[in-house]
Amino acid sequence: MLRTILRVGSETASTTIDGFSAVLGSNRIETSLWEQIVFYVSIVLTLFISLFPFYWMVVTSVMPDGAIYSLPPTLVPQEITLDHYRSVFSPETFPFVTYFKNSLIISVITAGLSVVVATFGAYSFARLEYPGRGLFSRGVLMVYMFSGILLVVPLFQVVVWLGWVDSLQSLVITYLVQTLPVSLYMLGNYFRSVPAEIEEAAMMDGYSRLEVIFRVTLPLSAPAIVAVFIYTFMIAWNEYLFASIFLRNQAVYTLPIGLDALSSGFHQVWGQIMAASLMTSIPIIVMFVYLEKYMVEGLTFGAVEG
Amino acid sequence: MSVRNTLQPLLNREKLTLQQKEALLGYALIGPAILLVAAVILYPVVYNVYLSFTEVPLSPDQSPVWVGIQHYETLLTSSAFWGALWTTVLFTFFSDTLATLGGLAAALLFNRTFRGRRLARGLMLLPYVAPLIAVAYVWQWVLDPLYGVVPWLFSDVLNLYSEQIDLLNNQLTAIWMVIAFDAWRYFPFAFLMLIARVQSIPKDMYEAARIDGAGKLAQFKDITLPELKYVLATVFLLRWIWNFNKFADIWLLTRNVRTLPIYAYQTAFASYEMGQAASISMILFVALMGFVLVYVGTVLEW
Repeated sequence: MLRTILRVGSETASTTIDGFSAVLGSNRIETSLWEQIVFYVSIVLTLFISLFPFYWMVVTSVMPDGAIYSLPPTLVPQEITLDHYRSVFSPETFPFVTYFKNSLIISVITAGLSVVVATFGAYSFARLEYPGRGLFSRGVLMVYMFSGILLVVPLFQVVVWLGWVDSLQSLVITYLVQTLPVSLYMLGNYFRSVPAEIEEAAMMDGYSRLEVIFRVTLPLSAPAIVAVFIYTFMIAWNEYLFASIFLRNQAVYTLPIGLDALSSGFHQVWGQIMAASLMTSIPIIVMFVYLEKYMVEGLTFGAVEG
Repeated sequence: MSVRNTLQPLLNREKLTLQQKEALLGYALIGPAILLVAAVILYPVVYNVYLSFTEVPLSPDQSPVWVGIQHYETLLTSSAFWGALWTTVLFTFFSDTLATLGGLAAALLFNRTFRGRRLARGLMLLPYVAPLIAVAYVWQWVLDPLYGVVPWLFSDVLNLYSEQIDLLNNQLTAIWMVIAFDAWRYFPFAFLMLIARVQSIPKDMYEAARIDGAGKLAQFKDITLPELKYVLATVFLLRWIWNFNKFADIWLLTRNVRTLPIYAYQTAFASYEMGQAASISMILFVALMGFVLVYVGTVLEW
């Protein structure tokens, strides 16, 4: 199963094959005009279904209320306003900035810690020999099978007992551990792909193991480290279930539960909700645009599943 | 035993061999990860089993009271539980099937070169990449009974259903909205998993089939499907596991679809019956494991 997941990584490689067939023109010559039309209509339809909700999010966030609540719906805005953004960013009406900051802090800390813990762990699995290694590495992957809903009741008891309700560390630790199996797996595979001879050569030159890790292996593994960082960041940014029960005080809310509170507290504020939704999406979409190839690996491991 | 052998020299303050040094470093590096997993996953899982046999008092100072299998008996005779189980299976089956088929269709569509392919592929991944909270609220807004675009199009313009129906607040329609939402959000996952495999099918297989006079449909049935069988089955299984446990996707879209995870959540944090909730999540887990084992044995033929 995991091998199938990994095979996805080779998609970039197979575009080379596309390149060849484009040069040879094998696809183009044999398709009739009719087939071309059906093909492009299907592409447009697929993209329309995928993208319409996003178009609608953007449009609603910049339309005045009069146009939002009208029938038939205003599909193309006649008038553009930034009022909804203004009220989202003014702390008296809605503490969006606080929620955004909380989410950012939690996500960055979780992702940073995950990189550290998973790098050390994965290196240990990939390169060092010791009794119990196989048991540990298989055991960690097993953890991938336990869902959030199975852990939520006992973890809540533990968090209450520790007095960690409303504390950010309860969420950071939970997200960190939930993402560890995949992070260890992704990094471990990458480390194994770094030729052992490079490390041995460095050790011949008098480097210690730790020096080898920091000066040789880690710099070579930058793509995998970026992928793990993004994967963990996305999980923490999206997570709703644990945040909704570990956090009680509005001041420490993360974005998902903050927006949920906003929408259930007011009616007919779609302009503001869409503006806030768009602002929530922006960090992820910016990452996606610039780091798509690193992100795709995390996505195939379920970076958005909770 | 072997661990002790490795550590023994250290205790004797003898000089360590290189191999022992490596092993010690190995334990030191994996230590934090193992400790965290044990504390935050393994311990809670075991504790959850215990809690499911107890009545958990509201005050954290009192310890849980053992009640035996009472919670399980309550569940097996409760229609709410069986209803939730059925809803879970219905939701999982349809959202999984639609997402997998949608991903397959998209993968076949993208299995050729065209101008803007990279951009189109990136845009198609957006529903999967964008934060859940954002896409759940757009869907709520698009389905809004008064001013939503979908009710306007399908009810006011096309007259396909009565405008009295609020799609997300109607018991009959809400589950289909959740299914549609999940299929829309997760078909890019199936696409990602399938496209690599689709592209690796040798082109000359189709060439040969064409020479033998096989039509498009026959090519799909006799070449594409057999080649994709295992990756399709794997995608279906992964989505099944994830969708069976789905909580936030459903909860944020509507409060009118009660699957087992939602039933457990409400029992724990709305009714504060933690022990009962623990038993629901135990049954959820066991049912899922049972499905996975049967599936892996029959479909994947492991």
